[in-house]
Amino acid sequence: MSQFTHLHVASAYSGHYGVTRPEYLAEAATAMGASALAITDRNGLYGAVKHIGACLKLGIDPIVGVEIAVLDDLAQPIGRATVLAHGHNRGAGWSTLCRLISVAQKHGKNQPTRLTIQQLAALVQQGDSETGLVATATVVLSPDNPFGRLALGSNRQSALAALESWKQHFVAHGSLAVEIVSWLTEPGTIWSTTQASRILDLADTLKIPTVLTNAVRYLTPDDALTADVLDAARFLEPLGQFEPQPNAQAWLKPHDQMVALAKEICVEYKRAQKLLDTTAALANRCRLEPVSDCGWGVPKTPEKSILGITGNPFELLWQKAHEAIEWRYPNISQSKLQDVQHRLAKELMTIHKLEFATYFLTVADVAQMIRDMKIRTAARGSGAGSLVNYLLGISGVDPIEHDLLFERFLSVERTSLPDIDIDVESARRHEIYRAIFKRYGANRVTLLSMQSTYRGRGAVRDSGLALGFEDDEIDEIAKSVWRFSAGSFRAATSMKPELAKVAQALENDRKMNLLVDITERLDRLPRHISMHPCGVILGDATLLDLTPVEPSGLDLPMSQFDKDDIDPMGLLKLDVLGVRMQSSMAYAVREIERVRGERIDLDAIPLDDPDTFKGIRTTNTLGIFQIESPGQRELTGKHQPTVFNDLTIQISLFRPGPMKGNMIAPYLDSRHGFAKPKYPHPHLEPILRETFGVVIFHEHVIRIFNQMTKCGLAKGDEFRRSMENPRVKPQIEKFFREESAKNGYSEAVIQEVWSTVEGFSSFGFCKAHGAAFAMPTYQSAWLKTHYPTEFVAGLFTHDPGMYPRRLLLAEARRLGVNILPLDVNKSTDEYLVEKLPDGGLAVRLALTELQSVSTTEIKRIIKNAPYADLGDFYLRAEPSRRTLENLGLVGALDAISGVAGTVGGTSKAIGQDPDSARATRGDVMAKIRQLNAVKKRPKLDPEQPALDFIDLSDSMPTGSPEPSLENKVQNELRILKLDVSQHVIELYRPMLDEMGVVQASELASLRNKTEVLIVGVRVATQTPPMRSGKRVVFVSLDDGTGCSDATFFDEAQRRCSHVLFNTRLMLIAGKTRRTGVRGVSVMAENAWDLKELYKQWQQQKAVAS
Amino acid sequence: MTRVDETVLVSVNQAGEPIGFRWREQCFLVMNRPVRWFARKEWWVESARAQRGIGAGVLETEMWRITANCEGQVMQFELVHQVIGNFWKLARVFS
Repeated sequence: MSQFTHLHVASAYSGHYGVTRPEYLAEAATAMGASALAITDRNGLYGAVKHIGACLKLGIDPIVGVEIAVLDDLAQPIGRATVLAHGHNRGAGWSTLCRLISVAQKHGKNQPTRLTIQQLAALVQQGDSETGLVATATVVLSPDNPFGRLALGSNRQSALAALESWKQHFVAHGSLAVEIVSWLTEPGTIWSTTQASRILDLADTLKIPTVLTNAVRYLTPDDALTADVLDAARFLEPLGQFEPQPNAQAWLKPHDQMVALAKEICVEYKRAQKLLDTTAALANRCRLEPVSDCGWGVPKTPEKSILGITGNPFELLWQKAHEAIEWRYPNISQSKLQDVQHRLAKELMTIHKLEFATYFLTVADVAQMIRDMKIRTAARGSGAGSLVNYLLGISGVDPIEHDLLFERFLSVERTSLPDIDIDVESARRHEIYRAIFKRYGANRVTLLSMQSTYRGRGAVRDSGLALGFEDDEIDEIAKSVWRFSAGSFRAATSMKPELAKVAQALENDRKMNLLVDITERLDRLPRHISMHPCGVILGDATLLDLTPVEPSGLDLPMSQFDKDDIDPMGLLKLDVLGVRMQSSMAYAVREIERVRGERIDLDAIPLDDPDTFKGIRTTNTLGIFQIESPGQRELTGKHQPTVFNDLTIQISLFRPGPMKGNMIAPYLDSRHGFAKPKYPHPHLEPILRETFGVVIFHEHVIRIFNQMTKCGLAKGDEFRRSMENPRVKPQIEKFFREESAKNGYSEAVIQEVWSTVEGFSSFGFCKAHGAAFAMPTYQSAWLKTHYPTEFVAGLFTHDPGMYPRRLLLAEARRLGVNILPLDVNKSTDEYLVEKLPDGGLAVRLALTELQSVSTTEIKRIIKNAPYADLGDFYLRAEPSRRTLENLGLVGALDAISGVAGTVGGTSKAIGQDPDSARATRGDVMAKIRQLNAVKKRPKLDPEQPALDFIDLSDSMPTGSPEPSLENKVQNELRILKLDVSQHVIELYRPMLDEMGVVQASELASLRNKTEVLIVGVRVATQTPPMRSGKRVVFVSLDDGTGCSDATFFDEAQRRCSHVLFNTRLMLIAGKTRRTGVRGVSVMAENAWDLKELYKQWQQQKAVAS
Repeated sequence: MTRVDETVLVSVNQAGEPIGFRWREQCFLVMNRPVRWFARKEWWVESARAQRGIGAGVLETEMWRITANCEGQVMQFELVHQVIGNFWKLARVFS
């Protein structure tokens, strides 16, 4: 007798229902001797590709189905059915499954997935009444159905009728079966042996085939506890508040137990045997042949006609690439042209061998479309190492100029489609998605999905819900769960000080023990599906036969497959990633053109602009892509980049690996001439010269392998990749040592190089990726240097950075960029650049900065502008009382009220003609109070222009004083979170001058170990892991002249622990410590709360006078 | 039906099925093929721990429904078998 095949198995991808990952189920089934296994997740194929992959690896046949809710003719739920795809029918079964899931999912994101019985019948039976219907899948009816419940009662006739009502819809042979399940529940209840026997009798009477399953939810009985918790998460109710699963029997039972169940249900031996036979027969019909049924591993790209290709795709690619040489390399010398052609030939040969021409043409087509939409793009990742990508406009980085390797990106050693990632303006990403759908057709494109899994906090929360913990209580515990996986919760409680309370509770609190236990059980289980942040799947017209889709957060369909499923399914994935910096730069370029009439092509600017590098070297890198963090700023000071490749190196160096591996210091020492660069062998000098002998890039390792073993660059990359696999590493080492020795390298050299390369995988970085990142770094630095006003406007509008916006304001002030206050007549929802009367430029604050204003109010203000005066604004913009007051307090109504406007800080005074200045902001506020006292705003009615009860037009109350600068800044900080009028530190200026506080901009000119006081607003606090294991705290302060960084070691931390993490305005005492040419930080000795000090200082002053 | 909840001494065959038991000084002999089923428990109320690998015994109990005879008197019984510790209880008596 053949081994039993489970045909109804929910994996963990049945969200909040199944417990076990598909791989484990397949392994267990194989270990039990099964030759096939089904996965039948609820509502989708979320785990199907992983299941097929696991089965192929284990050598058993995959079977795939879906469990779904079915409605009757009157749209009433009539129970659940499992639909199993038939195999070996050239994908007809698989396609049926995909299509029926997509139909069932159509109802919307928060609607239950369901099909009507007619839809289901029409989908699984193909053909018509003349040719005869053929089943492409079998609908297997669960005992959890009306006939199943009726079977438990005494009216057999009504049970038969209920089952008959299913049968009449499914006439095709093999389209319907009834599932016989016993979970050994109490006799006479649902899922009991009694019920199973009676259903068997009903099905036999109606001559419907029956199959035995165990309606599996988990691998082992022990997993049933996890299923209980998942049920609670699904019902959103604590355990005890809903009907739980009846027992722990829904596990993947081995053959013998399933046979015993068959005997128990059927009583008669022959009937039991027949039940097992029909089960095996259906299993056989459903065994899938992955390649022919699911298109497994068969590459799919949009049809040639869609891409506008008539001839041979490779010839077209060849032609396009060669034609672009003139565009990318104008006026190129003959010898350089030879280099380009040689490289191009090599790349094209590889692409031809791998038959990826259509893929490259497709990506180029998308890149071209994005450019035609006037949206900025940039490549990221290893794709920047390809000349073909550069010539096709997919990447903007010249791989020859930057010495990047194609083999890191693509080689005949790897046959999977390479990842080409495209960065675009974040604000326009969805526009691109829609354009891709439009261009290739909704039948060839879907968004990619991703499964989020249970991590620490989510696991604690759902476990807390299941156990009925109070919200606050679970909130507190969840917040302390940080930086460890839920799977080691119990171990963490004894190690993490923030979990001390939990650890104490574990000693005697039963509920807390349960919480910890079930939290650990949930660890890493799939939790919910959502849209991948950047993935788009492109296929041919059969795409929707290969993947089921469901609604996404956007109005575009999303595949049920995640990123790991794409490659095995032979699908093409495009990563279109939104990058805010690209939006910021595009915005700046648009403003330059709007205000100055200058057109700038950022992708064509010279990469060797001395002023740009000079600007970078000042370490005022705030707002510059990738190098604005305190760490990168410090490194910039030490490194002092002068050419583009320096940026590539710097971005790649500032990573945890090189920092831990202590690679930065040797590089810097050699660069600045303090040490002589060391090369293990003269042959390696040309490879490592750019980094003074330090191995930083993947490309270095590939080249070293090639140089010493003569293995070729493509093989070199294969070796590099396999180094991460500890099982393969010894073979690589053997090869490396033997071949290098054959090529004449000494044992000492081989040993030295191997020990460097061996630990490399933990810190290496792809140079192409670094160079691709260095491009926007350079471009943003160039904009900041030459167009600071427009650049700042772009930063404010798209907020790409890591710092609070008020620091951006301080930086703008430091750069001498004029900032204009809010003005309801001029401000919009973007930071517009305005021309000043004197010809200069300024950035106008945007209305979006107001903390308490709704977007509808902002839209209304913009739509109805300009306003004649305050009364006009009040009537037409219809601000709420609070908005009106807040706008008044920050001066947004000064201009329309005729207040003499001034702008503080370094910016110039901008305002009305002094002669017309009659009112003060105090007057404006008085008027606002009057307006806000009106009970109901009069309606603007064109038929009735007269407003007789309140004179809104010109009666501004006079005589209120202009508020003090201090008062203005306080209001700005409260309402805008920005100190617009002047830097907040200026409020303390008299005391700071008396104390002799040093400004951030002066630090670099001081001698080493000078005693200093520095002051500022905290902008960053970092406690990076240190090699010594001791905690070091870095605090960055902004004082309006720049950023200063202070380092707190143990003793200093103890002295000022009360202000170290929480105080916003700080004064720090310490000694300067020179870290490089422009790098100075302060070794802190003590720190104080600036506000406290100021209070004391004022008191002393008062006493003294 | 009467709820009982008393410990009883049970004899089982090689398959683990009860064949007879002693209850209140009387011997009962099982007459039919006993029916085994599994009832669930509210582990979140009863159990001290629920860690991975603790076993399904925390969640479910083995139950046996039997028809037994004592000196001509035939009744239906329900026995609880605690797998952990291997002890038996009489849960319910059906007349």
